[in-house]
Amino acid sequence: MSGIVVACLLFSLGLYGVLTRREIVAVLASIEVMLGGATLLLVVLSSTYGTGAGTAAGANTAASGQAVALLLLAVVAAEAAVGLAVLVSLVRHGKTGVDDIQRVRG
Amino acid sequence: MGVLTANAYLAVLVPLLASAAVGVFGRRSMQLSCWGALAGSVSVLAVGVACVLEPAGRRSVSLGWLASSSGELTIGWHADGLAAIMLVVVGVVASAVVVFSLGYMRRDPDPGRYFALIALFTASMSALVLADSLVTLFVGWELVGACSYLLIGFWYDKPSAADAARKAFIVTRVGDAGFMLGLAVLWGATGTLAIPEVLGRVAALPASTATVAALLLFAGAAGKSAQFPLHVWLPDAMEGPTPVSALIHAATMVAAGVFLVARMWPLFAASPAALQVVLVIGCVTALGAATIAVTQTDIKKVLAYSTISQLGFMFAALGSGAWVAAVFHLVTHAAFKSLLFLASGSVIHGSGTQDLRDMGGLWRKMPLTAGTWMVGVLALAGIPPLAGFFSKDAVIGAVMQRSVPAGAALVAASLLTGLYAFRATQLAFFGRWRGDVQDVAESPAVMTAPLLALAVAAAASGAAAGPVSRLLGAEAEPLSIPIAVMSVVAALIGCLIGSGVWGRDAGVENALPRWLERWWMAARSGYGIDDLYRRVVVRPVIGVAAISYVLVERVIIDGIVEGIGRATRRLGHGAAELQNGDPQRYAAWIAVGAIAAVAVTVWLGR
Amino acid sequence: MSAVSFWLIALVAIAGAWTVLVARETIRLIAGLGTFLLGIAGLYLRFAMPLLAASQVFLYVGGVLALFLFAIMALRRDEDRAGPAVRFSVVHASVAAGIFAVLVTALRDVGAASVDVTAGQDAVDAVGALLLGRFLPAFELVGGLLFVALVAVLAISAGEDRR
Repeated sequence: MSGIVVACLLFSLGLYGVLTRREIVAVLASIEVMLGGATLLLVVLSSTYGTGAGTAAGANTAASGQAVALLLLAVVAAEAAVGLAVLVSLVRHGKTGVDDIQRVRG
Repeated sequence: MGVLTANAYLAVLVPLLASAAVGVFGRRSMQLSCWGALAGSVSVLAVGVACVLEPAGRRSVSLGWLASSSGELTIGWHADGLAAIMLVVVGVVASAVVVFSLGYMRRDPDPGRYFALIALFTASMSALVLADSLVTLFVGWELVGACSYLLIGFWYDKPSAADAARKAFIVTRVGDAGFMLGLAVLWGATGTLAIPEVLGRVAALPASTATVAALLLFAGAAGKSAQFPLHVWLPDAMEGPTPVSALIHAATMVAAGVFLVARMWPLFAASPAALQVVLVIGCVTALGAATIAVTQTDIKKVLAYSTISQLGFMFAALGSGAWVAAVFHLVTHAAFKSLLFLASGSVIHGSGTQDLRDMGGLWRKMPLTAGTWMVGVLALAGIPPLAGFFSKDAVIGAVMQRSVPAGAALVAASLLTGLYAFRATQLAFFGRWRGDVQDVAESPAVMTAPLLALAVAAAASGAAAGPVSRLLGAEAEPLSIPIAVMSVVAALIGCLIGSGVWGRDAGVENALPRWLERWWMAARSGYGIDDLYRRVVVRPVIGVAAISYVLVERVIIDGIVEGIGRATRRLGHGAAELQNGDPQRYAAWIAVGAIAAVAVTVWLGR
Repeated sequence: MSAVSFWLIALVAIAGAWTVLVARETIRLIAGLGTFLLGIAGLYLRFAMPLLAASQVFLYVGGVLALFLFAIMALRRDEDRAGPAVRFSVVHASVAAGIFAVLVTALRDVGAASVDVTAGQDAVDAVGALLLGRFLPAFELVGGLLFVALVAVLAISAGEDRR
């Protein structure tokens, strides 16, 4: 239970950062926090359900959680890379704040 | 030939394709358009001739179209004797008209549209006569109406032509509403609209149902065939090009009403009351229109009222039970009336006017036109041995047997027929030239050749009585000598009065005795029926329209529409606030949505 | 003992996240993010998932964090501030709190079972077998995604240079 609470707390903190920080760098960092919390939740849950008294099925479920978490790491890395590239590009245009990209809309 | 009889739908398909091809490719080329339209009408004629000559090869095909729980609508063709006769009539007249148009429409800037519409009309007319179900027939019926509308208003930049087109469309629509109700009644009573099956079940219908259905169908027929009181559109329809009047408003489409009654004959035969109505309407129309025709000064209006009158003859025959005589008169009338229209077209083309008062002495300048016109006029008047004599005699004979007053009315109408026919002849072709133009010349061969062909048909189609009767599966009525003598004498009297009075003084109408003058003025304006409609129908409708404009359009609809607009705008301003481009606000809303989604899931999963 | 170690490591992660929230200088923000990421890695270790912990350190601390640093340095901004102080927003705080509450409520039943800290032990070969077996399509897909991301980063920066 405590693992779940910590994961959800981290996720919510990250969300608050995403909603309130006015600089793009900070928003990206907050997104990392959210994703970290989400991945942690995934791992915690897989461990919980892996409580199969050492059965093959239990171990398999726990391993699945780890495998998905690994895949998530890669996705998050890609997200960070693209996000930072966009950030660099924006800064070169003199824009660093969230307010500066309000024109980027449908 | 066998191919044609077995595939009668070609009479629809070929003109339809020709119409499309002419409409697409023939915009500028008069010759090309004409040949396309001619291919269409000749194919109709070929199918018709094949069906006449090879009754054994005729086939009726019915294909499923729309299935519903209460029955199935079919589409197909029903090539019987009646359809074959109609196809021949349509094919002959359409071919002659197309060739004639090549000369008449020579200077028209838009031949592609004209000939495409003519071909489309031909296809629609074929569909109408070949229809195996009342729905298909109705489709053809409306299509010929649409073509009529488009061709009356062919010169649409002329306001009178556009008005006439609209009038024709709306007035016939009154009848068509009855037609549609009739279809509904028949569908309800018999559960089918396939013509053979409907007719097969007519005998089982209660008399009242048969009467209602027959009268409703007759309303449609009366609208299409310009019978009193729905005749008012046909004289105005003369605004269209004259060859169109010959094809649509003399020979084929206006005869569709007669065709419809003939096609549905067992239904009408099952209802003596309906036949009585048909007879009365026919006689009133025949006599009334003939009196109006006497007073008209426009050569085409004379012919238009003459057409109404002759159609009245046909309906009188139908009302007397002599549907074979009616179809026979339809055939001969198509021949001589299309001839007369084309001849009048030639006159208009040559003299530049269609006012009889401005003509005179044209026979010297246009001998061929004058000669063929004479053939047509004599056939119209019913002088033996021309076509009109045989068919009109058959009609009057049948009506006499049924009702003597009705027969007497028709005899009077034939007297008037001779009168107005020879009045027009006298004013146009004899006496001295009263027009302004001096270089009036005979029309080119491309126009006179169809006149000659139709003149032969008008002279000889009286001999078609036997074949027509056989094709319709009836015995030809032998000529009744007393009736024949009576009608010929009446017609001759009319002819003599007409040529005598107007031969002596072309301006005799300007100095009529008081008692005659009042009637003359009344008849000249069509007995004020148009005026009556204007006062009783048009003005109230416009009044209601004006009231509804203010009440419905301004108050209700505008109120609703503008209210919706205002509300939407306010909502839009509110919604735009949500979409102000701030990604964090978007994220917050996404989070709120996620909260709601998870909360709902958790709550429901409980 | 185990609960104490868990909460200690969790507090490290939470503190890192909090720093990310409130840091006014960019460099402190990055430091907070690093602390947070290391804390997560510690929690993975605490759950006996050394493979995941190692990957977290390599990928995040060595990769993503370095990327952040590079990005900040590439901007060569004179002021190293990450912007004005974050003002407390009741609305956004309640949204975040709402997410927290709803998630915890939803997962309450699941979390009732105690975490078996040994469940993931020695599962490295199982994870490898899964990644190259049942999860192979996803694995390949992520590889494709990384490649696309690489190209995208290049395209974005190259497009900048050309302009």
